[in-house]
Amino acid sequence: MQARLILEELKKCGVTHVVGLPDNSSAELFALLARDNQIRLITVTREGEAWSVASGLWIGGMTPVVLIQNTGLLESGDGFRGTALRMRIPLLCFITYRGYSSGGDRPIDPSPDQWEVSWLSRPDLDSVALLTEPTLRAWGLPFEFLDAEADLDRISSAFRRAELESRPIGLLVTQPMKGTC
Amino acid sequence: MLTKEQLLRPLAHNRKNAVVVTCMGVTRPWGMHSSSELDFASADSAMGHTADLALGIALAQPARKVICLNGDGSMLMTLGTLATAVEADARNLVLFVIQNETYEITGNQPIPAAGRIDFASLARGAGFRRAHYFEQAASYEQQLPALLSGDGPVFVAVRVEKGSEGPISRSRTEQARYLRASIAESAHRLRQVLTSASPSAFADHG
Repeated sequence: MQARLILEELKKCGVTHVVGLPDNSSAELFALLARDNQIRLITVTREGEAWSVASGLWIGGMTPVVLIQNTGLLESGDGFRGTALRMRIPLLCFITYRGYSSGGDRPIDPSPDQWEVSWLSRPDLDSVALLTEPTLRAWGLPFEFLDAEADLDRISSAFRRAELESRPIGLLVTQPMKGTC
Repeated sequence: MLTKEQLLRPLAHNRKNAVVVTCMGVTRPWGMHSSSELDFASADSAMGHTADLALGIALAQPARKVICLNGDGSMLMTLGTLATAVEADARNLVLFVIQNETYEITGNQPIPAAGRIDFASLARGAGFRRAHYFEQAASYEQQLPALLSGDGPVFVAVRVEKGSEGPISRSRTEQARYLRASIAESAHRLRQVLTSASPSAFADHG
């Protein structure tokens, strides 16, 4: 998935700020944002901070999105709950999905009641991948998948849903964002 | 050491059209000094995330001062925000840390490093060019107008007496006006005020 195409979609949606922390999967998009003069990049020190800075930007009249990895998502629980969720901020969050393909192509239904505790330490499975979707469901953060460039129109539809329902919406990015070849 | 009254009364007098974001032990007392629609209580919110919320508002509203009244315990939870505010060049942010050295809301248990930690030095070390510490009411009041003018970000640590505020609630019976609405309603209303936009689709009927 080309990072440039995601950036173009963000611009079409009127995004003013991207707030987040980079990971290997989102590094190309961060690089593009760092030199973009239309959308401002705010790099934070921890993912919980991303929710509150983005919520403040929205209160101030802007249209931010959050861009974090699923590992940081798990750290950010109360930041999310107490700001974007509790304040009913229409906010899109891109969550890069570390471990999505670990151990093959999604070998395990990520349903905690089907887990064996040993799965969380299996070296061929990334425990954060097991925990991501159940966590999002538990937190009341609806989500969709961005698996390929054909899915990019889900960005604008997720924006519309966030506005309509006045709530944050997640987009799970399962493939690395690539630079221009 | 200042009383909360000595901290807040001059601030209410000097704030002009600034947004004021409060949390923890000064939330109710500020509501006794101000009923401005530009006040926002970070109450019933995320623990330790007041400074970063205020930072977001400041970045969205660069032509307006944003004053954050943060607790010292709260500041310790998100010290990284000092670096974020500097990196984001939030020139209109004035970040107060109310140093009472306790978690007042939960019964005044001491914060880590109480009596030893130097918040102004932490801010300076993060890159704040303007970082101040006050423990005398007279010097604070005298310098306050200057603190609230010019480019920031500005950091102001103020040594304040321990208080006895209990948990902060949001309900129709709260005396402070800005605690009578839900935090969602407050957030959406402040956005409307700051943008003079048409009413949000969100309406809190709770």
